[in-house]
Amino acid sequence: MFDHLRAILSRVDADYADLRYEIKRETSVTFNGKELTQIGSNATDGFVLRVLKRGGFTSIAFTKERDAEKALRTAEGNALLISKQLKLPVTLARTEIVREHVFPELDEDPRNVSSEEKLELTRTYNLIPLNHEGIVNTVTDYQEVVREKFFLSSEGTEIREDLVTTRLSGLITSRAGSLIQNVRLGLGGSHGFAALRNQEGEFENRTAIALDLLKAKPVEAGLTNVVLNPSLAGVFTHEAFGHFSEADLIEDSPTMREKMTIGAKLGNEALSITDDPTQPELVGYYRYDDEGVRARPVRLMKDGVLSGRLHSRRTAAAFHEPLSGHCVAEDHRYAPIIRMGSIFIEPGPYTFQDLLSMLGDGLCLLHHMGGQTSGENFTFGAQYGHRVKGGKLGEMIRDINMSGNLYRTLQNITAIGSDLTFTKVGGCGKGQINIRSCHGGPHILIRGVVIGGQ
Amino acid sequence: MEQLLEMADRASDQTEVYSLEETTDSVSFEDGKLKDIESKVQSGLSLRLIKEGKLGFAYTKNLRNRREVLQNAIDALKGGVEAPFEFPRPKPLPQLNTYDPSIEKLSNAVIVDECTRVAEELTRKTKGQVNLAAGRRISTVRLINSHGTDLLSRSSIYSLHAEILFPGSYASIQRPFVQKTFVPVPDAHLAYLLDLYHRSSKEVEPSGGAMKVLFLPETLYALMWRIQSATNGRNVYQKVSPVLEKLGTKLLSERLTITNDPLTDTIPDARAFDDEGTPCEALTLVDHGTLTNFYCDLLYAKKLKARPTGNGFKTAMWGGETVSLRPSPSLEHLCIGTGNKSFPALLRSIDRGILVAGVMGAHSGNILNGDFSVGLSPGLYVETGEIVGHVKDAMVAGNVFDVLKEVIDIEDTQHLSPGGRFPGLLLDHVSVATKK
Repeated sequence: MFDHLRAILSRVDADYADLRYEIKRETSVTFNGKELTQIGSNATDGFVLRVLKRGGFTSIAFTKERDAEKALRTAEGNALLISKQLKLPVTLARTEIVREHVFPELDEDPRNVSSEEKLELTRTYNLIPLNHEGIVNTVTDYQEVVREKFFLSSEGTEIREDLVTTRLSGLITSRAGSLIQNVRLGLGGSHGFAALRNQEGEFENRTAIALDLLKAKPVEAGLTNVVLNPSLAGVFTHEAFGHFSEADLIEDSPTMREKMTIGAKLGNEALSITDDPTQPELVGYYRYDDEGVRARPVRLMKDGVLSGRLHSRRTAAAFHEPLSGHCVAEDHRYAPIIRMGSIFIEPGPYTFQDLLSMLGDGLCLLHHMGGQTSGENFTFGAQYGHRVKGGKLGEMIRDINMSGNLYRTLQNITAIGSDLTFTKVGGCGKGQINIRSCHGGPHILIRGVVIGGQ
Repeated sequence: MEQLLEMADRASDQTEVYSLEETTDSVSFEDGKLKDIESKVQSGLSLRLIKEGKLGFAYTKNLRNRREVLQNAIDALKGGVEAPFEFPRPKPLPQLNTYDPSIEKLSNAVIVDECTRVAEELTRKTKGQVNLAAGRRISTVRLINSHGTDLLSRSSIYSLHAEILFPGSYASIQRPFVQKTFVPVPDAHLAYLLDLYHRSSKEVEPSGGAMKVLFLPETLYALMWRIQSATNGRNVYQKVSPVLEKLGTKLLSERLTITNDPLTDTIPDARAFDDEGTPCEALTLVDHGTLTNFYCDLLYAKKLKARPTGNGFKTAMWGGETVSLRPSPSLEHLCIGTGNKSFPALLRSIDRGILVAGVMGAHSGNILNGDFSVGLSPGLYVETGEIVGHVKDAMVAGNVFDVLKEVIDIEDTQHLSPGGRFPGLLLDHVSVATKK
């Protein structure tokens, strides 16, 4: 395969070029309620070419090899068009030339599990909620994605790396009259099929929550103090802070860039944040990113002070900062962009009960339901929560979305738990979907969060 | 395609082959300067077979090996996914004008020049950061089935999305400009952006509470996702829609009419048939506040014993590889009927309220139940008919079936926006949470 790709790459007339060919094999099994709505295994493939010519850097994604010649010429033309307009030519940070094949260590290779068994396991889990009165629907979805990547660059790097991702996700919907509630769950990871077995308890727990939510009260709008569970602490870290550690998101915003200066004191002294894609047990794991740079852990914040940033080769050179290996593509349809691997708040000294006592009166919120950021402001949802009075968990509440200012919230994270936990399912939509971006954290205490309510 | 159809037909009762070819070029400007040009040349194909009422589905990007794709579909048959429907038979369809051949000659250099002009024009008149995303897309969908249906749709789109950002954030004043081929952005479009930005440049921190809220067209997708979810044939069949038994009932304000309009081809991306070959049709979902229709693909029409409405599209909430998606009920041409007030007149009628100019977190929360709770990104605060400034760190929340009962007025013009063609929508008594 590399000989073949080398022949295509050798025809590019540029200062630098790289070519990634990728085969993506997907297996899916989906139940909607009691009905099986999707099953099958399929493969797709394609090429992504990136060209740097006279300081203009561009990319083209093409499906068919017979379009290669046209793609090469289009990319060269686009690069020259960019180079004419640029004040500062693009340069790429130097990286080690690598020739390596990387195959993940799997505790059970999903490719060796029969489709019948995948169907039966999904069916078994799907029936757990459906056997409860009050549960009106489920979506239970098995997804297996294998990316077989072949990367080579005009500098001589040749990397073959496979990423195997398994995921079993559920959406459990309960109903009483016209009130509809739902909870989500996600299992899986980057190390095989075994993580999906023996998870009946998780489906039972989530079903109970979906039913309890029918009796929960809607949250009231206002400003309040909260304890977030690890799932929500993780999504806050990812959405509100993590995205602005991605150099490409701030490089062209002079005002954001000024605030995100390395060495700036942005957070409470209790707060340290790291992104580490090198942990093989986490779903955010990979060895090389999609520009052939070895992934490395980056301490983004230490004791409240901004200490690092996530980079591509282009932004590392532009910022004069070290390479981090965080430039990742969704698949063969996309050029890579800067993504988080496994971002997390480092654990602190407190137990969950300590945090509730420190909170006194407020809300304890659990499990994320999506989030978004727009610079200094963010918003994200919780699946449910509890009122807390005098440090004790009280009644259940629902319909919770919170919003805040990044810098103020980083200051207001005043206490950190010791129970670091990571999500088992990744997911981030920054123009492309990245199923291998996960997050984690311990329980945390935040003062002064805006809660939207009716 | 034909060969695959023929081979597959021998192994099944009914067969359908869908193909998509797409060329796109995207130009981005950040902080007024050219940032990137990206191109894509993509193609792919999907195959559906029905045998003894069961469905087999497979897809590929490169049709190198027909047997392999066919085998994947045959293997999938064994799972037993129900397909109690028939693929459509040939029917006469309206000829829609969706493709302007002049787009073929549009070079990236012309798009870059136009972006440079727009960036310079905006940068000269504002201190706010200017970002632009422009590009073109040419796509060809072909669908053939074993009943003799053979359909082709070719479409061209040129768009330029301009936004002016507030300092320290990605909250912006924005409005997309979308055409079938290259047309320079009119001055009035840029003047609207500049005017709104300048009038709201001061950051303000009003107190919250229930107040008048004007959703700009660019943000209405946040509310419409909930309406789409509630009227989706699949959700109705699965009994997870809160308006299950409400057909014929007045649910929303008398002023509100919501339709799906795929056939108007003066606007880009009109479609005469959906991704299953069912003829597309104009469909009224809400007629002056009364719920009138649910929308269906072939599968859920059969399950609900209803008529397929031509809404089977290969789309998903987060995009995804089109050929890998199965058709599902989808509103690709959503519209809200216009009212009779101009945008300035709507604005003047607000004694105290918020203009929602951007939303964050439209996808989070209990969409099925119709609940929304979105961050303002930004909101523009209005007192006595004048914009006072912009608000950050605030949220609007409610349930669409409550807030859309209290429509005060609707703008007299539709704008092509994310999620559909919408006018501005002024609502009363919407909950706004702020820091105060």
